Amino acid sequence: MYGLSELPYSSRKSLDYTNTLSERESLALAGPAISYMTQRVYFDFEREREMLQCIFLLSDSGEVMLEKQLTGHRVDRSICAWFWDQAISQPDSFKQQPVIASPTHYLFQIFREGITFLACTQVEMPPLMAIEFLCRVADVLNEYLGGLNEDLIKDNFVIVYELLDEMIDNGFPLTTEPNILREMIAPPNIVSKVLSVVTGSSSNVSDTLPGATASLVPWRTADTKYANNEIYVDLVEEMDATINRDGVLVKCEINGEVQVNSHITGLPDLTLSFSNPSILDDVRFHPCVRYRPWESHQFLSFVPPDGQFKLMSYRVRKLKNTPIYVKPQLTSDGGTCRVSVLVGIRNDPGKTIDSVTVQFQLPSCVLSADLTSNYGIVNILSNKTCFWSIGRIPKDKAPSMSGTLVLETGLERLHVFPTFQVGFRIMGVALSGLQIDKLDLKTVPYRFYKGFRALTRAGEFEVRS
Amino acid sequence: MREREDQSNQISPLQLLIRRKCIYLTFSEETKGRSNRVRGHSTQLSVAMAPPPPQSHRSPSPSQPSGKSEVSDLKSQLRQLAGSRAPGADDSKRDLFKKVISNMTIGIDVSSLFGEMVMCSATSDIVLKKMCYLYVGNYAKVNPDLALLTINFLQRDCKDEDPMIRGLALRSLCSLRVANLVEYLVGPLGSGLKDNNSYVRMVAVIGVLKLYHISASTCIDADFPATLKHLMLNDPDTQVVANCLSALQEIWTSESSTSEEAAREREMLLSKPIVYHLLNRIKEFSEWAQCLVLELVSNYIPSDNSEIFDIMNLLEDRLQHANGAVVLATVKLFLQLTLSMADVHQQVYERIKAPLLTQVSSGSPEQSYAVLSHLHLLVMRAPYIFSSDYKHFYCQYNEPSYVKKLKLEMLTAVANESNTYEIVTELCEYAANVDIPIARESIRAVGKIALQQYDVNAIVDRLLQFLEMEKDYVTSEALVLVKDLLRKYPQWSQDCIAVVGNISSKNVQEPKAKAALIWMLGEYSQDMHDAPYVLESLVENWDEEHSSEVRLHLLTAVMKCFFKRPPETKKALGAALAAGLADFHQDVHDRALFYYRLLQYNVSVAESVVNPPKQAVSVFADTQSSEIKDRIFDEFNSLSVVYQKPSYMFTDKEHRGTFEFADELGNLSITAESADSVVPAQQVEANDKDLLLSTSEKDEGREPGSNGSAYNAPSYNGSSATSQPLADLAFPSTGISGQAPASNLAIDDLLGLDFSVGTATTPSPPPLNLNPKAVLDPGTFQQKWHQLPISLSEEYSLSPQGIASLTTPHALLRHMQSHSIQCIASGGQSPNFKFFFFAQKAEAASMYLVECIINTSSAKSQIKVKADDQSSSPAFSTLFQSALSKFGLP
Repeated sequence: MYGLSELPYSSRKSLDYTNTLSERESLALAGPAISYMTQRVYFDFEREREMLQCIFLLSDSGEVMLEKQLTGHRVDRSICAWFWDQAISQPDSFKQQPVIASPTHYLFQIFREGITFLACTQVEMPPLMAIEFLCRVADVLNEYLGGLNEDLIKDNFVIVYELLDEMIDNGFPLTTEPNILREMIAPPNIVSKVLSVVTGSSSNVSDTLPGATASLVPWRTADTKYANNEIYVDLVEEMDATINRDGVLVKCEINGEVQVNSHITGLPDLTLSFSNPSILDDVRFHPCVRYRPWESHQFLSFVPPDGQFKLMSYRVRKLKNTPIYVKPQLTSDGGTCRVSVLVGIRNDPGKTIDSVTVQFQLPSCVLSADLTSNYGIVNILSNKTCFWSIGRIPKDKAPSMSGTLVLETGLERLHVFPTFQVGFRIMGVALSGLQIDKLDLKTVPYRFYKGFRALTRAGEFEVRS
Repeated sequence: MREREDQSNQISPLQLLIRRKCIYLTFSEETKGRSNRVRGHSTQLSVAMAPPPPQSHRSPSPSQPSGKSEVSDLKSQLRQLAGSRAPGADDSKRDLFKKVISNMTIGIDVSSLFGEMVMCSATSDIVLKKMCYLYVGNYAKVNPDLALLTINFLQRDCKDEDPMIRGLALRSLCSLRVANLVEYLVGPLGSGLKDNNSYVRMVAVIGVLKLYHISASTCIDADFPATLKHLMLNDPDTQVVANCLSALQEIWTSESSTSEEAAREREMLLSKPIVYHLLNRIKEFSEWAQCLVLELVSNYIPSDNSEIFDIMNLLEDRLQHANGAVVLATVKLFLQLTLSMADVHQQVYERIKAPLLTQVSSGSPEQSYAVLSHLHLLVMRAPYIFSSDYKHFYCQYNEPSYVKKLKLEMLTAVANESNTYEIVTELCEYAANVDIPIARESIRAVGKIALQQYDVNAIVDRLLQFLEMEKDYVTSEALVLVKDLLRKYPQWSQDCIAVVGNISSKNVQEPKAKAALIWMLGEYSQDMHDAPYVLESLVENWDEEHSSEVRLHLLTAVMKCFFKRPPETKKALGAALAAGLADFHQDVHDRALFYYRLLQYNVSVAESVVNPPKQAVSVFADTQSSEIKDRIFDEFNSLSVVYQKPSYMFTDKEHRGTFEFADELGNLSITAESADSVVPAQQVEANDKDLLLSTSEKDEGREPGSNGSAYNAPSYNGSSATSQPLADLAFPSTGISGQAPASNLAIDDLLGLDFSVGTATTPSPPPLNLNPKAVLDPGTFQQKWHQLPISLSEEYSLSPQGIASLTTPHALLRHMQSHSIQCIASGGQSPNFKFFFFAQKAEAASMYLVECIINTSSAKSQIKVKADDQSSSPAFSTLFQSALSKFGLP
C-alpha cells in the first residue's frame, strides 16, 4: 500500500546525489554500516522523548516574571537563581553561552531586549530546536505585545500564558505560526479593544477555532476578506564587511531578506521572480514557498500568509566594494596617541547614504581622549565608547575626526587597537544588485496594488586599525 | 456551607464530597443565566484589559510579609463573587483572577485559595476559564484532595459545544497529574480521541501520553496505544499525526522493556510503510513535527541505495527551510544515510555547506552559536571541504567570545597551503584585540597552524614579532609556542634563540611562559650567551617562585646547562639542588633528590638521563581522540555537539535519578553536587541500575591504554593530573594491582631511598573502634551526605577471592556488618556494584558515611568517605579497607 510509487518524486532521477560507484561496490560498502546503524536505533529509542520541561522569563534584574511548567517533572524556581548567579559572574553578563549545563538541568537561553528566555530540559535533544523555539516565542510575544519589555510582559502575563499554552504542550512545540495564534488568541492591542466594544465579543479569544489548523495551507485561512487588495514587497539587505589593518577588504557579503506584507482576499497564489536570481549564494524559504519551481526556474511560487512575514532570506558572497570608506589612523608616541578617521563615499550607489555612524571602544589603557570632528557630533560615553554620528555624508567635504588619546603613565605606545564599527543606511537600493522582475497573481482574478521597496544598511561593518 | 468553607484547609473526605455536590449545584444554576450576562458586560472589557494596578507585581521577594494579608483579602473577595450573578461579576472575577495568577507568578503561595477559585470557575468566559485552568494545573499536584473538586467542572467542560473549551478542558484535566484521579480521565480522553474537531483530538493524543506518565497501566488497559496508532495512520490532521507519533514513541519505548509486543510495535514505527506514510506528507506537517519525523527517519534503515536517493531527493528542499531546527535535522539524516557511500557522503558535505553557513550568518547570536557548534564538528571531520570558506570563520568584533573561540578552532583546522597566509594574517590582527582571552587564543591558533604546516617560514616571523610586542600576555603565549615549535622544528633554533635571548626573564610572569623560557634556556644554553647567569639569578630568587612547575623546569634546565657549560653553572646547580631539597613541594623535592643521587652515582649516566639526544616531535598528542569525535558525530544534532563531548560523558542518568526523588520531596537543592546525592535504600535498587550503567560505560572508555588520557582528564583535578602519568609509569600493569604497593617499594629500594614517600604505606592509624549497633535512618543519611564534604576519596583493589564471592550485593553487606559497618543502600549487577555504608564511632556520636563503587572486572573499588569528625577519617578508611580486603577469605 505504501509503495515507492507513492513518493511524489521517486520517478525523478537522483540528479543531485548520483552514485559513481558501481552498484556492486556500493552494496558491499553498505554492509557493515547497516549493522552499525542498527545499534544506534536501539540507543536512540532508549532515551525519553519528552523535551522541554519548563520555560522561565526573567527580567533584566533576574526576577522571574513568568514560569510555565510543561511536564509532570516540575522544575524548581531555584534554577533561575543558579542561572542568574552564573550570568552575573560573567564579565559580559549578557553574552553567556546559549546552552549551559546546570547541576540538574540543561538550560537554553536567549536574550532579547533585556528579557532572558530560559528553557530547561534533562534529556538529550536537538539544541537548535530549543533555541529556535525560544526565538519564536520572543518573536511572537514581540508581535503580540507591540514590543518586548518587562512592563509589557507583566501587564499582559495572561496573554503570555495563553500563547505558551498553544505553542507548546508536554514539552513539544506545536504551532508557532503567528497567523494561526492570532486566530486563537487575539492580540491585546487597542484595535481589538475597540473592536470588542463594538462587536460585543467579551473576550480576547475568537469564538471559532482557526480553520487553517486543519487545512493544507496551515499558515492561512481561506476566508480572509479585504476591500483593498494590496501587497508590499521589501528587499532588506545588511552588508557585513571586514576591512583589515592594511585597508584591505577581507570579507564582504550581504544577508538579505524579502519581507512581504500581504492583504489579499481569498487564497491567492503568487509568483515572484527576480531578474538576476543567479547572484544568490544560498536561500532559505518560508514554509509557504514551493521548492520545485525555484529549483527548476528560479522563481518563487507561494500562497502567502496574511499580513507581515519573511518570504525568503538569502546570502550573496564575495562582494568587491563597499559604498563608503572609513580610514582610521593611529600613531602613538611618548604616552599619547594621535587619532584621525576619514570617512567618504567610495562607490556612489546613486542614492543618498544617511545615518552614517562610526563607533569604537577606547582601549582600557587610555586615560583621556580629546576628539573633534569637522562634521557631525562626537560623543564619548562613560563606558569609553566613542560615538561619532555623521548623518548624511556631505557632497563638498569629507568628514574627518581627529584628536589625541592620553595613555596610562608608563605606557609609551598603544598596543591594543580599536575596531571601528560603521553604520549606514541607503534607501532605495539593494546593494547586492538583486532586482525583482515581476509579481503575478494566479488564482484570484481581481486587481490588486503592488508595492516594491529596497533598503540596505550596514550589518557587521568593521574597520580595524 | 459557607461556614465550612472557612476551614478549607482541614476538610475530611466526607466534607469534600458534600462540598463537591454543593459546588455542582452552584454551577448548574449559574449556567442557566450565563449567556445573558456575557453580552451585558462586554463594554467593560477595556477596563479589564487595561494594565492591572502595579502594586503586587513589583515585589521581587516571594515571601514578603504583605503576601499573607493580600491572599486572605483575595480569598474573601473571591468568596463574595462565587455565587454572585450581579452584573459585572465576570469582570470583577477577571480582575481577581489576574491578581491571583500574578501572585502565583511571582512566587507567592496562593494554594489556599483553591476552593474559592474552583467555586468561581463557573463561567463562559474563556479567558477566565484559562486562568482558572492555569491555577488548577499549578496547584493540583500539591493539593490532590482539592483537585477532586475540579474534576467535575473540567469533565463538564469537556462536553462543551465550543471545541476550544473542550480542548482546553481536556488539556487541563490531563495536566492535573494526580494519581488517584486517573479514573476520571479515561472517559473524556476516549471521546476526545474521537472528537470531530482536530484541535480536541490533538490535545487528547498528548493527554494519553500524560495519562501514561501518571498511570501506565490505566493507559494500556484502555487500549489507547492502539487507538493512537489508528489515528496516526488515518487522521487527516497532520498535527494529530505528529502528536500520535511522539506519544507512541515514548509509550512503546518505555513499555518495550517489559512487553514483547511493545518492542515489536516500536520496531514497527520504523517500518517502511509507516516511514513512507509520514515522508509523503512531510510538507503538510508543522516545522516542529517535521523535526520529529526527520529524526524518526534518521533511524530508518533503507533497504537499498535507490531508496536512500529517493528519500534524499524528497527531503532535499528541507535544507532550504527557514527553521534552523528542520535544516539541522535534515543534515543529520543525510549524513546518516550516506555513511556507507563515501563519495555521496562527500557530496552531502558540499550540499549542506551553504545552508549551514547561511544559518550561521543570518540568525540571532544564539541560533548561530548552535549551528556553529555543529559546523565546528563537520569542519573538524572534513576540514578540506571548508578550506575555501575560511573567511566565514573570521571573527567579528561584536561576537561573544565563545563564538570567537569556536571560530578560531575552525580557522586552525581549515588552514592549508593555499590559505595559510591569509588566515595567519587575520589571526595576527586578533592578537592586538581588546579581548585578551581571544588575543591569547589567536596566538595559540597561529602556533597550532605552524605545527601542522610544513612550510612555516612566514609563521615563525610572525611569532617572533609577537615576542617583540611589549604586551606581557602576548609575549607569554608566544614563548610557549616558540618552545613547541622548537620541539618540532629544531632547525629554527638560531632565529628563535636570537629573539628569545633578548627577553628579560623579569618581564615574564606567567608560570607556563616562564617554564617555556627556562626550558629554552636549558636546552639551548650553549647558543645563548648568558643562559647560566640568567638561570643563576632565577635560582637566587627560588623562594619567590610560587609555581612548582617553574621550579621543576628550573631544576632540569640548570642540570642541562651544567652538562653543557659546567664551570659557569656549577654554582647555580649547587644552589638549585639545595633549594630543591629544602622545597616543601613533593615533586620538586623528589626531583632534586633524584638529580642529586644521580649525580652522586655517575655523572655521565646522569648526563645521558637528563640530556639525551632528542628527536624532533613529529606529531603532538591531539587533545581529542578521533574516537571521541566519531562518537560525537554519531550524535549529530544533539547537545553532545555543543558540549563537544559524547553524551555518555555528560548525560546525567545520575541527575535524572536523584531528580525524580527530589521531585517527590519538593526540595530540590541545586547547589548540592548531585553526584553526591544519595537515595534511600528502597529507591536505590531501582535507580542504581542506571547509576552503575553509566559508570560502567565510563570505565569501558578508560580501558584502552594511552587513548584513554582524554577520557581521564575531566575526572582528575589539576594537581593530580600532573602526577598521574608518573603513577602510570610506576605501575605498567595496573591489571594486577594487587601487587602494586610492592612494586612501588621495589622502585624505592632501587633508588636507595630509605624513607617512604609514596601513598602506598600509610602510617599505622590510632586504633578506632566502631559501634557494632549503629543506627541511621535513610533520611538522616541523605541529609548528612548533602551537608558533609568528602573527607577522603580512595581507590582500593580487591582480592580475587573477594571478587569471586561478590556475586550479589548482599554477600558483602553481611560481611561488612560483621565489621560493624552497616549498609544503607546497595544495588547493581555484575560487574558493577554500588553501596552506601555508614558506621559510628564507639562511644561517640560521630558518623562515617561511605559511598563504595566496586567493579569486579577490574577488581577495583572506589570509596568516598564523609565523616562528622574529619580527622579520624583516614583511620576509618584503613579500617574499611581491611574489612573489605578480608571479604571472601575463609
